Amino acid sequence: MDHDTREMLLDTAGRFFAERCGKDIVNGVEKGTWPADFWKEIEEMGLPLTAVPEDKGGVGGTIADLMAVLRLAGENAVPVPLAETALANLLIAAAGGTPGPGPATIVLGNVSFDNGRLSGKVDRVPFASVADRFVAVANSGGKPVVAVVDKANAKVTATPSHAGEPYGTVAFDKATCAFSGASAVSAERALELAALARAMQMAGAADKVLATTVEYSKQRVQFGRSISTFQAIQHMLAELASCVAATIASAEAASRDADEGGLADGGSFSIAAAKTQASDFAQRICAISHQSMGAMGFTHEHILHHYTRRLWVWRRDFGSESFWGEKIGAAVAKAGPQALWPALTSSRYAA
Amino acid sequence: MSIPKLEFPPFHLPAEAEALRGEVRQFLKETLPGLKSEDRFSSWNTRSSEFSKALGKRGWIGITWPTQYGGSERSFLDRYVVTEELLGNGAPAGAHWVADRQSGPLLLRFGSEEQRQAILPKITAGECYFSIGMSEPDSGSDLASVRTRAEPVPGGFRVNGTKVWTSGAHHNHYCITLVRTSGQHGDRHKGLSQLLVDLKTPGVTIRPIINLAGRHDWNEVTFSDCFIPEECLIGNEGDGWLQVTSELAFERSGPERFMQNFHVLRELVRVLGRQPAGRAASILGRIVARLWTLRQMSVAVAGMMQGGKSPAIEAALVKDLGTIYQQDLPEIARVLAESDATTEDDMADFLDVAQYATMMAPSYTIQGGTTQVLRGIVARGLGLR
Repeated sequence: MDHDTREMLLDTAGRFFAERCGKDIVNGVEKGTWPADFWKEIEEMGLPLTAVPEDKGGVGGTIADLMAVLRLAGENAVPVPLAETALANLLIAAAGGTPGPGPATIVLGNVSFDNGRLSGKVDRVPFASVADRFVAVANSGGKPVVAVVDKANAKVTATPSHAGEPYGTVAFDKATCAFSGASAVSAERALELAALARAMQMAGAADKVLATTVEYSKQRVQFGRSISTFQAIQHMLAELASCVAATIASAEAASRDADEGGLADGGSFSIAAAKTQASDFAQRICAISHQSMGAMGFTHEHILHHYTRRLWVWRRDFGSESFWGEKIGAAVAKAGPQALWPALTSSRYAA
Repeated sequence: MSIPKLEFPPFHLPAEAEALRGEVRQFLKETLPGLKSEDRFSSWNTRSSEFSKALGKRGWIGITWPTQYGGSERSFLDRYVVTEELLGNGAPAGAHWVADRQSGPLLLRFGSEEQRQAILPKITAGECYFSIGMSEPDSGSDLASVRTRAEPVPGGFRVNGTKVWTSGAHHNHYCITLVRTSGQHGDRHKGLSQLLVDLKTPGVTIRPIINLAGRHDWNEVTFSDCFIPEECLIGNEGDGWLQVTSELAFERSGPERFMQNFHVLRELVRVLGRQPAGRAASILGRIVARLWTLRQMSVAVAGMMQGGKSPAIEAALVKDLGTIYQQDLPEIARVLAESDATTEDDMADFLDVAQYATMMAPSYTIQGGTTQVLRGIVARGLGLR
């Protein structure tokens, strides 16, 4: 995708999300209403196929193109499995399959593939109860396999996330697969890509939290003046802006590194660092924003919680700061003190 | 709804800069072991004229300046790499640091041809060191309130007043001094100028101000009817404020604002051993992720500066985040080491390092612009003031 095409895609997607993904849709999903028309429009725009090659019926974009779309989705609290479906489609295409339509989700965890059948059970699968199919990167005799299971062949226990999104536990018991193929990426790598997607969604959501809070503070009048003119509020918002800028900067850097380094292992260290950073800053971002917006921001009526609740939930998705932090810390410790600086400057785990 | 965006577009240091990194690392590997280090607790605060001269010989001081003044006419990004390698490897770069970072660039931009020719080649040789004469007893964050007065007299200025927190004045050759050359105390930004003051000038008295750690870095510098020749005025009379604000961008944006106590992190890695428990590894990894993010942001700011932008707000934001990180680091490291260090010997040594870093930490969010001043700048960037 050339620069102009990419800009056009992002401009179109950004405007579409902003116009179509209103409060009604986000709150509707929380109440259990699947926004079928909204999803259909997303598919018509080709967004779930952003990073699928053109010869597989996709848009032919890069990982970075997809991640940029997902940042916009995060900025608008898009309450459908766009990230999950787009990653699933990317995995299927890279395993030699052809992605189909409909919402999908990815199942990353302890699942195994034997004699053409998938077994295992994974908790907290995003959008499990609205997905038409499940795409797992499973272990098959030590080798990764991409396996696709239709929802009819899986057992889903709905456990909505605290952000009101339809998460759930998915169990496969020697499930028949609609497709399977040798995976181009390891299960660990699939998790990295999913973590990157969430980090970018978090960057988008954080950006929206900042914009919402700044706007509110300018309009809200107390003691006869906008609260944005109080130094106490200004300093809080400056700190908020710093945390948000850091979240965006780390996610964007990881997206670039993933893209440049290639599907198999690009940006491995950067992704771990970015997801750690996004998860670590999420609480400060939410706390400052809520404090600045007072009781208004604590209501269900206001949209702020669409973003802060997602940030809180997304911290845990596809590896928390504890998970990715441990991965980085263990690697840094193993390589020893002298390897730390070279690792930081090259954005790589020490060899 | 739209607010000004504070973006830090990912930026790659170019191949030339990365090639230079290899050269700098090799140089440091060869040079550092032979130097006696007066302490291992800081880098840009530790002075070694021997080291500065060796670095100057390689052409790595004033690296961006024109060759006619001893520079190498390399990019700002090459300078960034040299700077971060000095910090990352704990090189004693304190003697020439201020001259390279802001005094030289100031003279290059505003100084007279005579000043440039007389001073810049000595800086690039690693032989000429500078202090910053901005703060005064009654003038800290509110810099425009300086009282030091330079009264025009035939052939120059008669200077009276006092500067404080003047780092290294007892070692350095010059102090670029912010003075009031016209108008009254209440005129704020108007009537301020900067003078290139030779610290050996009669009437200049330098007294130590010892910091809480017992170190003599700071000084009080008093001027008593001190005659400064007119050729030492930098730029035009009355341009002092413009000069100072342009210097502050250099002072704030560099990697020293998050790499100052990098040795604490390296020492922490050492004492945790090669296989720390999961919880300890996780905390370590979270610190590393934070530092990595700061570096990505700082490199992005360097990229903006190389691209001709003046990212003052972005620089303030990175300094704010960086210095808070530097304050958190010794505390997180100390607590973690208390529970998870692997050997007793290492531990005693590490706690010494961490204690010292803890004592130094309050200075990070004061020098070069307090957190509160920086947040005011960021708030302005958000359109709040």
